[in-house]
Amino acid sequence: MASPEIADVVVIGGGPAGLAAAAEAKGAGADRVILLERADRVGGILNQQVHDGFGTKVFKEALTGPEYAAIYEDRVNERGVETWLKTIVTDLTADRLITVRNEKGVQTILAKSVVIATGCRERTRGAIGTAGTRPAGVYTAGSVQNYMNVRNLAVGRKVVILGSGDIGLIMARRLTLEGAEVVCVAEILPQPSGIAGNIVRCLEDFGIPLYLSTTVAEIHGKERVTGVTLAEVGPKMGEVKGSRRFVECDTLLLSVGLIPETELAVGVGITMHPATNGAVVDDSFRTSIPGIFSCGNVLQVHDVVDFATMESEKAGVAAATWAMTGKLPNPVINISAGAGLRYVLPATISGEDSVDFTMRPWKEEHDKSVVFKSGGEVLRRLKMPHMEPAGMIRVRVGLGRFNNVVNNEITAEIED
Amino acid sequence: MNSTIICIVCPVSCPVDVEWTQEGGVTGIRNHLCKLANEYVSSELFDPRRTVTTSMPVDGGDWPLVSVRTNPPIPKDRMLEAMDEITGVRVQAPIHVGDVLIANILNTGCDVIATRNVKIA
Repeated sequence: MASPEIADVVVIGGGPAGLAAAAEAKGAGADRVILLERADRVGGILNQQVHDGFGTKVFKEALTGPEYAAIYEDRVNERGVETWLKTIVTDLTADRLITVRNEKGVQTILAKSVVIATGCRERTRGAIGTAGTRPAGVYTAGSVQNYMNVRNLAVGRKVVILGSGDIGLIMARRLTLEGAEVVCVAEILPQPSGIAGNIVRCLEDFGIPLYLSTTVAEIHGKERVTGVTLAEVGPKMGEVKGSRRFVECDTLLLSVGLIPETELAVGVGITMHPATNGAVVDDSFRTSIPGIFSCGNVLQVHDVVDFATMESEKAGVAAATWAMTGKLPNPVINISAGAGLRYVLPATISGEDSVDFTMRPWKEEHDKSVVFKSGGEVLRRLKMPHMEPAGMIRVRVGLGRFNNVVNNEITAEIED
Repeated sequence: MNSTIICIVCPVSCPVDVEWTQEGGVTGIRNHLCKLANEYVSSELFDPRRTVTTSMPVDGGDWPLVSVRTNPPIPKDRMLEAMDEITGVRVQAPIHVGDVLIANILNTGCDVIATRNVKIA
């Protein structure tokens, strides 16, 4: 095989996270930045998300997905990032040797820094083990979004959606606008998985019912879906006896969660986080392997692209700094999630700069505070009128607050 | 009157508590994290509007579809009418983000604009 290409920063994945990381790595002065994308264009999921609501944090206006992607695509091109399309990464080593396949064949790249920004894929019927026959007409919500918004294909006329994740809610509206009948959205949890705003503008605006604590117990149909059996579930996720009912439909959409595409990260031996299923990172978005960084949905599932962008821009700058100097602030302070929080990232920080912490609560909370504490003393307290598991919380803790850290330990928790 | 209106301007989805009267408009507002909510709740109470996003078929382009949106948002109760109007209109590549593809749809004063670049294939 030919000798490897040499690069300062290689970003794996050309979705919103990878675009932001690559643009900022180049902007921070890295000489050769290569962005690897397996599709035939960059932009990732944004290309099919024709709805609006992107950019309210970064640009203070509600853009559609393609508009948001176009801004960052222009940015990587203007700054001189090399974009390799239709290129799939087959191997990554701890020495940062990347093996790729594309139309030129097999190539290798030796990078000083690697940013893993491979995003997520959707959970499927197999992942949730739904009983019944195996007819045509069962799709993941994101696939249908791609069929309708990119390929101009319709999928069905009478649709049940299982799962109230944001993509499922968005597709309920999209299908309705295109003339399909969305019979209902069923959600196994007692609360919606998608954000409250999408419940309003995607379901309530069109009178689409949302059944909570309800799941699809069985799929019916031989060639094509003819209907599903809905069943209520109790507090311990068991089926409520006598609650089964048949609903006629020709299509079932699944919006039942995302799986981070961590094969490369796991394969190279990066330490993974039990709550996020992404990498454990410090405040420079470094993983446990020197020179390998991670950001975007493969790190933690975001519900707001703006936050994925902001996180990835930092990762890109850090990757460039590491490539050029071999130095980054040492992460000496451990961060742990306390009462009420499922997780908090980053897991470690240097204390030498302000940090934007991201976290999710276990359950819906009203008029509580997010509190950062060390040695029993409060470093930062932020009042939150409303928190819910579907909404990532982002809290900036300023540099000065880390002066009083005791024993290099900080705990984040929810308090009254 | 008192209402709770979920602000849909950004994904934070603040459940905004509003005091209002038909004559005097919004007289009190709380539980919102940013000032974008002020304008939204007022509009939602007295003139609810939505951005309709969809796509239109393209002839001669590198994509079969161009994604579009109404700009500015149209009255909420006219969304399906707008979809009927948009459906069936074909456009020709090239198209640039921001191009007006249907002007003054349904005489609302709102345009339908492109949200994606489509090059000539």
